[in-house]
Amino acid sequence: MKTLIKNVKIAKSGAMYHTMMIPGIIFLLIFSYIPMFGIIMAFQDYVPAKGIFCSNFVGLKHFMYMISLPDIAQIVKNTLIIAVGKILIGTFMAIAFSILLNEISKKFLKKTVQTIVYMPHFLSWVVLAAVVVNMFNLDGTINQILVSFGLDKINFMGSNRWFRPLIVGTDVWKEFGYNSVVYLAAITAIDPGLHEAAAIDGASWWRRVINITIPGMLPIILLMAAMSLTSILSAGFDQIYNLYTPMVYETGDVLDTYVYRIGLVGRQYSFATAVGLFKSVIGMILMLTANGLAKKYTDRKIF
Amino acid sequence: MNNNSIVKRITVLMLISIMSFSLVACNDKDSSKVKESTQIVENAHGKYTEEITYTLGRLTVQNSKLPEGDTYENNAYTRFVKEKLNAVCVDAFEANGEDYDRQVSLAISSGDLPDMMRVGDKNILDELVENDLIADLTEVYDNYGSDYLKSIYDSYDGRALDTAMYDGKLMALPGTNVDSAPSEVWIRQDWLDKLDIIIDEDGNGCITIEELEMVAKTFREKDPGNSGNPVGIPLAYWLNSNDYGGSNHCMTGIANAFGAYPKLWLQDEGGNIYYGSTTKETKEALGVVKKWYQEGILDPQFGTRTWDDITALLINGQSGIVFGAWHIPDWLLNNIRAMDNNAVFSAYVIEDENGKANVFHNNASNGFIVVRKGYEYPELAIKIANIFYDEFANSKTLATDAPEVAKYHVDAVDGAARPFNIEINKYTSLLDDYSDIRRGVNGEIPVEEARTVESRVIIGNVTKYLKDYENSNVTDWAKYHSRMKGVALIEKLTNEGTFNWVNPVFWGTTDTMKTNWANLEKLEEEMFIKIIIGAAPLDDFDTFVNDWNKQGGAQIIKEIQETLK
Repeated sequence: MKTLIKNVKIAKSGAMYHTMMIPGIIFLLIFSYIPMFGIIMAFQDYVPAKGIFCSNFVGLKHFMYMISLPDIAQIVKNTLIIAVGKILIGTFMAIAFSILLNEISKKFLKKTVQTIVYMPHFLSWVVLAAVVVNMFNLDGTINQILVSFGLDKINFMGSNRWFRPLIVGTDVWKEFGYNSVVYLAAITAIDPGLHEAAAIDGASWWRRVINITIPGMLPIILLMAAMSLTSILSAGFDQIYNLYTPMVYETGDVLDTYVYRIGLVGRQYSFATAVGLFKSVIGMILMLTANGLAKKYTDRKIF
Repeated sequence: MNNNSIVKRITVLMLISIMSFSLVACNDKDSSKVKESTQIVENAHGKYTEEITYTLGRLTVQNSKLPEGDTYENNAYTRFVKEKLNAVCVDAFEANGEDYDRQVSLAISSGDLPDMMRVGDKNILDELVENDLIADLTEVYDNYGSDYLKSIYDSYDGRALDTAMYDGKLMALPGTNVDSAPSEVWIRQDWLDKLDIIIDEDGNGCITIEELEMVAKTFREKDPGNSGNPVGIPLAYWLNSNDYGGSNHCMTGIANAFGAYPKLWLQDEGGNIYYGSTTKETKEALGVVKKWYQEGILDPQFGTRTWDDITALLINGQSGIVFGAWHIPDWLLNNIRAMDNNAVFSAYVIEDENGKANVFHNNASNGFIVVRKGYEYPELAIKIANIFYDEFANSKTLATDAPEVAKYHVDAVDGAARPFNIEINKYTSLLDDYSDIRRGVNGEIPVEEARTVESRVIIGNVTKYLKDYENSNVTDWAKYHSRMKGVALIEKLTNEGTFNWVNPVFWGTTDTMKTNWANLEKLEEEMFIKIIIGAAPLDDFDTFVNDWNKQGGAQIIKEIQETLK
């Protein structure tokens, strides 16, 4: 009996919950906080042998160099177009899918569909790139279909017109199922009484979606959108790296891939760090702004 | 989350940061303090009394042909080193192609180098030296290098060792690079026969651009490989190589025929340095490839094909024209023969308008073996080199001394299985060895008289192939092609004086190259591809030259001019 009371006490005090946080905190410390010291590299001419404590400080040299690069405008533009495209279309698809999926009443069918659209999320781009290339190259499935309709072949993988849509499209296809989990949860949290009342008042399904489901989901939608702003300058390195060639640098070369080529392959570590820091700072500013707006309009905030 | 725990977390963070700062003080700690080797070994081939280990960075190949059960870490070669020197090999990392360079970059940035590794790039070597990460090998080379090993390096008049010399110190063991010119064009002879095409009527071993065009066109129209989707000539998107050894799937051979030498630093008669990719000859060569693309002679998917994709085209019989050095039958074309028993290739060089074959001298070194500073047994690197490049090369009794190794030679296991994936050969070795092989095959000399083990094995391969070429195995087929066609062509062109040699003047990296080269390379690759696929007119080449000069090219030329003074 005594032990039971003691256990209840422990549970009430919240100590249990805090203990549960320990692995996460340790993980954060090791993989997020300690590496932050590496940011110092961005302001140095980093030399591996000297380490970050002995390399020479050069101030903002690498940031200046970044701005002076002839291609930087094009690369930032590519990054923004691809990232914004992914966020907008991806979010829209996930929301639409979750609303439609919610209408399926047969549990078995619902689960099956869900599993199928989840699947691609768990495959790596290295694997999927091979699939995408086989679908979209000149002799690929898509082109064979085009030819059978009497249309011209399109060199998707090598065309600056098609490369961005291809990147955005395949990424949305890969992720929308997984991203819809949150929205599904939001939909189920909406009071069914509201729907019933609206139905009695003669509201159509479409009306109910517009006036009940979407407003009920809005806080979550805004929250997710704000969160995704942090990655506005990350257009998905693995995906693009596995699909691009110099032919589509013009539209497909993004900050991550460019920094990878110049920084790691060219071994300019400080420069790569500077660009990484630049990305993080922009991402943080955007997120704080979004968080402020979310707080103002929806009374919800991320932190 | 109550305030208390936030305070705690911040405290912990502060503590950690203070600790990590205090751990790393900025003294010039002498990492070079080598523990005095406990075992002093007098002679060059001596064995360590206690077992020692060496960790390696290993450049691997895709198809090593290692026998079942053997690995890069544990195979006939490493076992021989263990037996002979009592040194055990442990691989720190193994990777292939570009991935390997990435691994090396990572090893350098983490400061965690293997005891020995192969470095491909002169600028990485520069960096290792600047950062004081690798050992000075001057003394161990002098003390432990065998006479024969030294005589190999001497045959380059110092050109090879110089590439690894810093302030008079030998900082790496350079792999030598014999001239492997030219970039030959390998054409499916069986298809030529099938379609009754006759090329090189004057028999000088060279064909004209027009002949190549005609062959590519006919192959595309007639589809002799029955692939259903012939593609003409496939080229890799990087288009050019500054080394014949890496020129497969490149247009280097085409460019050379126009007197263009892309990706090389050259000097004109007035002593001015210029970059080969920016010359009007290169423009001309690009114009030809552009025309091919328009006419469908070039692979319509040029620009998006990877190296592996192109290899697949050849294996599937969609193309029968390959550019590359004399040795590609051994590791690239053999895959084609493995799929198609009838595949036979002939090798040619594309000639210029005067019937000459323009070629450039290779960089005298290719790849470096470096030893980590602080490694206890730096002399081990030299001893390993003695075994592989002297003992194995010259041994007349290898079959009894090291039967396992001899079998590797016969089975054509790739040299990447050796601890050091570099070659150290005499400057004239290519044609020397070939003359041994030629005479051995013709019965002019007994097989035993051939100077190297490899030559003796190859004489066996070629003889077997000639006896019954229809049922020959792939290795015999490959050795026959690489030597009796690939190198035979080089000997022929050398003897007939068809070669017109050009000497590139600079192989290193200048300061501006360190920051701007990646960008200039991007500029070049992008522009060349655009021109070829018709996304830009040929005259945009002049814009490219301007941009290239503006974005650091002119400055780099100045810097090279300085270093050569």
